Formats: sequence, C-alpha cells, structure tokens
Amino acid sequence: MLWVMFKERVMRAIASLLIFAVSGAVMAAPDAHSILKDSDQARGGGLPGIVWEIKLQSRDGERNDEPQRILVKAVDDSSIAETQEPVRFKGSKILQVERNMWMTRPGLSKPIPISPRQRMSGQASNGDIAATNYAGDYDAQLGATENVDSDPCYVLDLSAKHKRATYDKIRYWVSVKRVVGIKAEFYSVSGKLLKTARFEYGNTIEHDGKHIPFISRMIIRDALIDAETVMEFGTVKVKKIAASEFDLGQMQ
Amino acid sequence: MLVLCAVASTAYAEEADWRTSWDGTLYGYANSMVVRDDSVLNPYNQIARLPQRSDVAEIRMNLKAESETVRVTARGIGSTREMRNAFGQRSHTEGYLSLWQVRVRAAEGWNVAAGRDVLNWGAGQFRSPSSPFYFDNGRTDPMRELVGMDVAKVSWTPDMRSSATLVRVVRSGYGAAQPDAWRDSWLAKFDTRGEEIAWGMVAAKAPHLGAFYGAHGQYTMSDELMLYGEFGSSVLPVVLGSPEDAAQPYQIQSPSPRGNATLAGSSYTFESGQSLMLEYLHDGHGYTKAQEVAYFERATTQFGLPLGLMPRLLGRDYFHAVWQANMMSETGYWRLMYTRNLTDSGSEFAAYGETTLHPRLSIYALAVLPQGGARQEAGALFTRSFTLGLKSSI
Repeated sequence: MLWVMFKERVMRAIASLLIFAVSGAVMAAPDAHSILKDSDQARGGGLPGIVWEIKLQSRDGERNDEPQRILVKAVDDSSIAETQEPVRFKGSKILQVERNMWMTRPGLSKPIPISPRQRMSGQASNGDIAATNYAGDYDAQLGATENVDSDPCYVLDLSAKHKRATYDKIRYWVSVKRVVGIKAEFYSVSGKLLKTARFEYGNTIEHDGKHIPFISRMIIRDALIDAETVMEFGTVKVKKIAASEFDLGQMQ
Repeated sequence: MLVLCAVASTAYAEEADWRTSWDGTLYGYANSMVVRDDSVLNPYNQIARLPQRSDVAEIRMNLKAESETVRVTARGIGSTREMRNAFGQRSHTEGYLSLWQVRVRAAEGWNVAAGRDVLNWGAGQFRSPSSPFYFDNGRTDPMRELVGMDVAKVSWTPDMRSSATLVRVVRSGYGAAQPDAWRDSWLAKFDTRGEEIAWGMVAAKAPHLGAFYGAHGQYTMSDELMLYGEFGSSVLPVVLGSPEDAAQPYQIQSPSPRGNATLAGSSYTFESGQSLMLEYLHDGHGYTKAQEVAYFERATTQFGLPLGLMPRLLGRDYFHAVWQANMMSETGYWRLMYTRNLTDSGSEFAAYGETTLHPRLSIYALAVLPQGGARQEAGALFTRSFTLGLKSSI
C-alpha cells in the first residue's frame, strides 16, 4: 500500500516536471512575427517617421556607376526620395504611396507615374531605400538558427502578403542577440534567387526613450551577374512627417 | 497674401532651423525647321513668320529655403534667343519666374500657399484633358517649360490617402495670352489614393466662362501594367467654327459650345525599365473630317484667321504611342513618339535622345518628322524640325 502511494507520488512528480519542461520550452520559442517586427525598427519600420540620407554606389562588373546621394522621408507605406547628387538630377523626386509611384523633376510638365520596375540605382529598388515593414508585408515562418559571421541568427522564411511587397519571397537572417537583420536572400515567386543583401548597424536612433541600433550600410549583390550596390545610411532622424509631404499637388 | 506673410513671419520667429539649397542648369541649343512653302495656313511663311533657324542660350535656376513649417521655392529662367527666317533676323531676351511659392503649414493637415504654380495632373502623356489650364501639356513647344498660374491656395491633407485643395487663380502666369480667360477664377480639387488606384476630380470657374469639370485616374494592375484615363468638360473662350460647307464662312464662337475630351491609356514597363505607352484621345472641341477639310479649303482665301484662331487640336480622335528608356538611367535617356490624327490620317514621328558626356554635361537632340500634306494637321506648317543642344549643371 505504501509502495503504491510512493509510486503514485513519483509518477505525479515526473508528470509535473514534464509539463513544466514542455511549457517552458513553448514559452522560450520565439515568435517569428515578433522577431520580424522588432528587426524592422532597425530599418525604419514601426516609427512615426524617418528621415535619412543615403549614398549609393553601384558597380556592374568592372564599371562603377556615378555615386548618388538621396534624401529620403518615409513613414509606413509611403516614402519620398529626393536626389541631391549627381547634380544634374538634383531636385528629382520619387514619391511612393502604397503601390502608386510617381517621379517629378524640375521642368517636367507634371508628375509622371512610374513602375516599381524602374529601379532607383543598380541593384537597389525603391523598397530598399524606404522604411522596412517586413512584419506588415510578409508572412514569416521561423526555421532553424544559423551562424552568420559567428553571430547566431534566427532564419525566417518570408512570403509576400500582398502585391505591394517589393519581393515575393525573402530568407532573412536576424541576429538572436541584437534582433537586427544581418543577411537576406531575395527570391522570385518561382523560387529563383534574385539577389542577396548584407546589413550593418553602425547608427543609433532614440525612440520612446530607448537607443535602437539602426542600419548604416546595406550591400546588395545580384545573384546572377557580378553587380552590386552599396548603400550608406547617414543623418538619420526619427520625426513625424506631415502627410502633405506625400501630396502630389504640393511637391513643387 | 498679407495673412500668409503674417503666418510666415510668426513661423520664422519660432523656427531657427532653415535649410537652403540651389542648383541650376545652362542650356544652349539650336533648332532648324523646314517650313512648308506650300502651306495653306502659312503660305511661304508670310503669316506666322516662323523661325527657320533659332539659337537659344538659357539658364534655369532652382532656389529653395525651408524650415519645419515654411517653404520658399523659386524657379527662374533667363534666355536669349536669335531667330532667323527669309524675312530677316530678330532676337528676344527675357527673364521670368516660371514657378515660385511660399508655403506655410498653418495647422495639422493644413497648408496655405501663394505663388506661381503649374496646376497640371493626370497620367496622360499626349494631352492633359483633366487640367483646365494645360490641355496642351507643353507639346507645342517641348523645349520650353510650362509657366505656372499665379495663385493663392489652401490645401487640406488629413492623411496619406486624400487631399483637397481650393485655389484662387489671380491670373495666368508670365507670357499668357490676353485677354486672360482665367483671371480671378476659382478651382477646387480632390484627390484620393488607394493601394492600387489613384484618382482625382477638379472643378474650375472663370468669371465669364462656363465651369470646367475634370477627372483623372490610374490603376496599377501589376508591376508591369498600369491603366489610366483623363476627362475634361469645358467651354473655351473662343473657337473658330468650321461649317462642313466650305462656301460658308468661318464662325467665331465666343464662348464655344461645351465640349468633352477623354483620354484613355495604358503603360507597360519591361524588365529593363523601358516602357511603352499607348493612348487614345477624343476631343469634342476638334473638327470632324468634313469640318477639317472645309477648314483648309476656306483657308486658301482667308489668311490669318484660321491660323490665329486655330483649334487646340484640329481633329477629334488621336492615337499616341511613346516608347522610352528607363527614366532612372543615369547615363542617358531616349524617347520615341508617334501621333496619328485619326480624323485626317496624318501622323507625326518624334524622337528625343540625351546622353551624358561628363557628370555635369549632357548632349541632347530632338527630331520631329510630320507625315502629312499641307491639308493635314501634322504637315500643315513644317516638314521637319531638328534641335541639338548641350546642357550643363552648375
């Protein structure tokens, strides 16, 4: 009788330990969407507005393109990029509001609608220079963890939620420790690798009383040809941007 | 204007963080035009005296100063032009502001502005039916920029998706034809943008003219394909009526009957970034085929009037195609255009090309080749035109 009671107590204790261990494991398992949302902040997402200057340098084989410098204001799904250099394009602007894009230049008779296929420069698309909102634009699946340059990373497989997303599929490596994206592979809907990107976070911004590491460099390489674009992000400011900044009728 | 200055002064006192910038471009270009001697409208160039050769030097400057709440912009143009034809040579020098504006953020979502503003919109390339002021869209003289209207305006932009604007047009800007039909007029515009659709509506009223109503819209079907359209319903200050019976005289109608213009277009962008645009325009103010035939017939005996009061477009139905390079290219740009007047079957080819010689220096050329006889709109005045120019950033 005592032996039976003892056995029952031991079994109950083992069951409790098992339940505790399983629930602990479940609680510790990271949520892919949360990881993505947190990493977006380091690239301008989820902020009331961001203003930054970007220097772009593209290379196609041995040929170096002319460097570009653009001033970008972005909030949510809207962005406006104004060219500062080269000087012959100074004042040119590209406005994006959701899936609609327009270009204006001093002297043009009116803003011209353009397609996302008319990319900014080299390998960079308009989505690369604007604030990143992967959490809003993509469904995320968490895979295994991998090391990138000795930095343990979550590996997220992202699928576009809607046509507004710049890429159909992305494989995204997010640092476990810093919760910033450090590597990405961009795929077409058929699964063809289009380009790869590496990210560095040498900037810092202040938001909600916190210091947040912020993107300072993005290197985009074409997967098929020897071509790359280096984007240096500088003069970063978090600030609310008025809706009128994205109004076509007020872009003069 | 006084209220705007007061608000701007207050804003200036509160704001210390001003950012200024400027840039400019020098242009030098020469044009050669072969004028049609057998023109019905302009025989031996005696009426219009079009320049057969012109040389232009021009500077275009942009100035901007802005703070968090105030923005001041100006675009100044100075040019000197030498023109030659069989009748002699003349020169013309001018300087003016094609655009300027003082804009003040008066409150959250509200801006007030005064200045000279190009009130033009819509995705149409060939013409802008939805703009009461710029139907021509600059096509008549592609080397010359559009000049803004002198306006005061209030804009309400509650969010990223919509905006409303009320404009008081003081007068048409520099160089406008007189009498100025748009002096002391009003314009109201509403715009909205969804995920894939953007559209707007506009109404304008001049003191002595029937109201203008316009609308424009575009639908981004995919990364490659966009559909768009524009509409305008207008009464023109004066038109030259052309009865189908050529024995009847021209009829000057002031104002014109109401006419509608509709443009439908599509734009396809290739993977390379090149794009192809196809447009159809119907202009209710144009002539039917019989009316256009009579217009030219009557012109053989009545010089001056048919050219001086020439309709904005002679025909009613047009097809326009544009094939152009990636507009984001840094090294150059080209554009091929084809226009066909479906009413009189005349057409026009045009080609523009530009290439960078040096980061601050580009060379460009524009060729226009009408395909039509003296009694077709395309070939009525000249048989070819060629422009070659250099532009340098300063």
